[in-house]
Amino acid sequence: MATQMRLGFAQLRRLPLVLFVVLYSVVSGGPFLWVATMSLRTTAEIFKNPYGVPSPVHWEKFADAWTKSNYSTYFWNSATVVVVAVALVTVIGSMAAHCLARYRFRGNRFVRFLILSGLVLPPQLLILALFQILLDLDLYNTLTGLVIVYVATHIAMTVYILEGFFAQIPQDLFDAARMDGYSDFEIFWRVTMPIGAPAIFTTVTLNFIILWNEFLFAVVLLTDDAKRTLPLGIMHFTGSHQLDVGMVATGLMIAILPIILIYAFFSEAMIKGMTAGAVR
Amino acid sequence: MAVITVDKLCKRYESMTAPAVKDVDFIVADREFMVLLGPSGCGKSTVLRMIAGLEPITSGTVSIDGRVVNQVPAKARDIAMVFQSYALYPHMTVFDNLAFGLRRRDVGRTEIDRRVHAAAVKLGLAELLKRKPHALSGGQRQRVALGRAIVRDPKVFLFDEPLSNLDAALRVTTRNELIKQQHEIGTTSIYVTHDQVEAMTMGDRICIMNQGEVVQIGRPLEVYRNPTDTFVARFLGNPPMNLLKGRLDAKDGVAVAHFAGSVIVLPKRAASSLVRYVGRDVIIGIRPEDLYETAPPGGPVPIARSPARVVAVEPLGAETLLVVALDVSSDELIARIGRDTALRNGDRFDIAIDTTAIHLFDPATTKAIV
Ligand SMILES: Nc1ncnc2c1ncn2[C@@H]1O[C@H](COP(=O)(O)OP(=O)(O)OP(=O)(O)O)[C@@H](O)[C@H]1O
Ligand SMILES: [Mg+2]
Repeated sequence: MATQMRLGFAQLRRLPLVLFVVLYSVVSGGPFLWVATMSLRTTAEIFKNPYGVPSPVHWEKFADAWTKSNYSTYFWNSATVVVVAVALVTVIGSMAAHCLARYRFRGNRFVRFLILSGLVLPPQLLILALFQILLDLDLYNTLTGLVIVYVATHIAMTVYILEGFFAQIPQDLFDAARMDGYSDFEIFWRVTMPIGAPAIFTTVTLNFIILWNEFLFAVVLLTDDAKRTLPLGIMHFTGSHQLDVGMVATGLMIAILPIILIYAFFSEAMIKGMTAGAVR
Repeated sequence: MAVITVDKLCKRYESMTAPAVKDVDFIVADREFMVLLGPSGCGKSTVLRMIAGLEPITSGTVSIDGRVVNQVPAKARDIAMVFQSYALYPHMTVFDNLAFGLRRRDVGRTEIDRRVHAAAVKLGLAELLKRKPHALSGGQRQRVALGRAIVRDPKVFLFDEPLSNLDAALRVTTRNELIKQQHEIGTTSIYVTHDQVEAMTMGDRICIMNQGEVVQIGRPLEVYRNPTDTFVARFLGNPPMNLLKGRLDAKDGVAVAHFAGSVIVLPKRAASSLVRYVGRDVIIGIRPEDLYETAPPGGPVPIARSPARVVAVEPLGAETLLVVALDVSSDELIARIGRDTALRNGDRFDIAIDTTAIHLFDPATTKAIV
């Protein structure tokens, strides 16, 4: 009897939390579902009834979005830029984090400060200078230029996350590998990288999501329509012609797909990375 | 075949003013098992890491077989080390952990297989080769760490408190296993511990360190019987040696000690050898096992008696520890006596002291007077 009452009370106490989770899901998932339904309906149908259920289901819109506009170009531009930038930022960032976490060298603190100060700089502040620099280097309006900017602006967060994790890997492991005859680079490659994998997945996922949606640098540093990335492409869709809401929704769904995929793929490892410290 | 010579070894860490290791000298003979023993923070690990090549040497030299290796990188010294934390690679299987060190040493694939399996069988790890470290018990991890050193077949083994993470029972069995392995393999070894039982039972010789310096080197019983100063006297032995204030005198050409309210003739010690200390204060050391409730049976032992009161009784099963306060001074002594004593708190009795077992120390330098 008493336990039942207590159980009831415990559930009652959880009620606000449950309500909060439900509310949060509705607020964040609702619009997503709405766009998902719109992506399968024509603009005419949507204007008739914005909240209707797709019937008939227009799967062909996905093919249309891909073929009847520059969408595939935007998509591949984005894919190229983001994959290359994430790969570079991961390799460079993890090497830097490894060195900062492992070696006591002269100027260690200064280098760390310099890299991490990138965390506090708002992108709006950099944009003019970057514009000028890229112009001077003939990299303005090129995907290469955008990749370099993405790498530079995301090194700080990457190093910040990775260094914290790498520093927790016990020093003995590195000493053991040294005695086993491994060089510093091999130790980075065979000890730090595999053990730090959860943290690395975390940064890969975060960087991927952020860069995939990046708008500000892309809109300022790319002008050529053939070089645009997805976030620009979708905006372009809405702007110059009439507002084709249905097509925008379809475009958005295509754009979101890689993020959902990468999240599904890395999420478990990422959660491990975020709750980590569990090296021993 | 390896002789390790450590000569005037010093280490000063950047952040510290006092050196962590100061003028450490010792030689470990071929096939010898040397134990570095000392309290926490005395610099044992630092010495070991300098020998391993993991820590730069401030001054002095480390030589292996007569060749100075100060500038030789760790991987080229052919030394294997077992870490206190085991340092197993968490992302590799037991097999890969064992093989990791061989893969960098031009050992063929079949030879690696053979060596790893041989070591695994020897250490009872054969069933576990496919597991990752997190799926092993503490004892099993310890054996993997040991195996990783053994498969390398190095010139020298270094151990840094390899048993301190094991529970008491496992520590004893692993200790015995390790001694057995060492006798079979016979590789020159240096073993760091702060556990005196490990030191006494495992070491061919022990090197006792305190505050970065070597205090005494010798065979375990030799060191136990002839501690070079009061630090060693109290550090080795559990409970530690009792130290009392006393005074030395000469009487008819024989040394006598005034302490505990009585005058005790020191057997076998002529006054002439102690002439510098005659008439001066000394520290009298007496081990708990040299104190008795009644005179020990079997043969005449020169015994002195002093009235005392029991302050505490600690029955340990096989024996009983008594804390007693001497009547004449405020000194408290710990005595190790038979388990079937009838003494209780507050009882008074005449405690018996084996006067042949008395140690003398200089109160100014704390060094033993010999
Ligand atoms: N990297 C370092 N930087 C500065 N001081 C250090 C460093 N490593 C050790 N020390 C200091 O050097 C002294 C000796 O340390 P060491 O680790 O050799 O002691 P130890 O005898 O192995 O102790 P324990 O039994 O606790 O392992 C200690 O006072 C320690 O604080
Ligand atoms: Mg230590």
